[in-house]
Amino acid sequence: MLARVDEVARWAQSSSVWPLTMGLACCAIEMMTVTSAEYDIARLGSEVFRSSPRQADLMIVSGRVAQKMGPVVKRLYDQMADPKWVISMGACASSGGIFDNYAVIQGVDTIVPVDVYVPGCPPTPDGLLYAVNLIQQQIRQGGRGGIFA
Amino acid sequence: MPSTQNPPIAGTAIDPTSLRPKLDDAVVERISPSELRARLEAFKGDGYAMLLDLGAVDYLGREPRFDVVYHLLNLATHARLRVLCGINDGEHLRSVMDLWKSADWAEREVFDLFGIVFDGHADLRRIQMPNDWEGHPLRKDYPMRGNNAERSPRPAFANKSNVVAGTPPAGRTLEALQEQVRRARE
Repeated sequence: MLARVDEVARWAQSSSVWPLTMGLACCAIEMMTVTSAEYDIARLGSEVFRSSPRQADLMIVSGRVAQKMGPVVKRLYDQMADPKWVISMGACASSGGIFDNYAVIQGVDTIVPVDVYVPGCPPTPDGLLYAVNLIQQQIRQGGRGGIFA
Repeated sequence: MPSTQNPPIAGTAIDPTSLRPKLDDAVVERISPSELRARLEAFKGDGYAMLLDLGAVDYLGREPRFDVVYHLLNLATHARLRVLCGINDGEHLRSVMDLWKSADWAEREVFDLFGIVFDGHADLRRIQMPNDWEGHPLRKDYPMRGNNAERSPRPAFANKSNVVAGTPPAGRTLEALQEQVRRARE
């Protein structure tokens, strides 16, 4: 009996991963595109972009993080309730990308733990959907952050 | 033809402004720092009511090193005026915030990125870089990757949180992933 409840709870949780409304740079344009009818992230239950970090489960770091923006991103992550996940979207968020300079943080994983990296400059909306898919898989398999983990 | 943009050149440094073709939409004037304030006040009186932009250029190796550039617009005649003022590192300029309000953030930006101080500015703080930043990034001798020699410096604020950053979530370490791939191949 317990096993079934466990499964249902994970299914429910994985089908309602709500992202945080946070667009940092040009990758944010592709991030917005996944909510369009063409790509329709609502199929995965993630169409509700929350404006408050208290209500969000998923942070999509969509663009380069400037040194000045770093503390803001960090604070937003800290304000999100557990369990929470992070997608590092695109080359800049993952490694600094072409911005190998004083002003940009060389990889957002130096300030927040990242679950899935999406390569590309920018990644296609399909790439981002696949990343959300991977996080859903992780939750269903009882990975980090799951209710019964 | 001697150009008004042509400043005295020291050493072997080339002055890029002397190579540029003359722009016919703006009158360019070079004014020395000592008489800058009086001339700008006179320009304002002549109808140059708008300060479009205020910027600076670093000609490293030239004497004087910096050009502070004032872009003025006469709203009545639509005439444009570009005022250049060469100063050296450490020299101060009078703020023109009391003449044109738009100089406020522009002077802060020039101070932030070039380290040129404007005397009489009400609130001369950094505007683009974080407040605790060291150095002035748009100076030509500022290292591209910043003063920190490390390839991926871990910012200091990352350590101030209750969250351990940079640790891969369970099951997503390199070893675990390699194990996963190995099992899938078998």
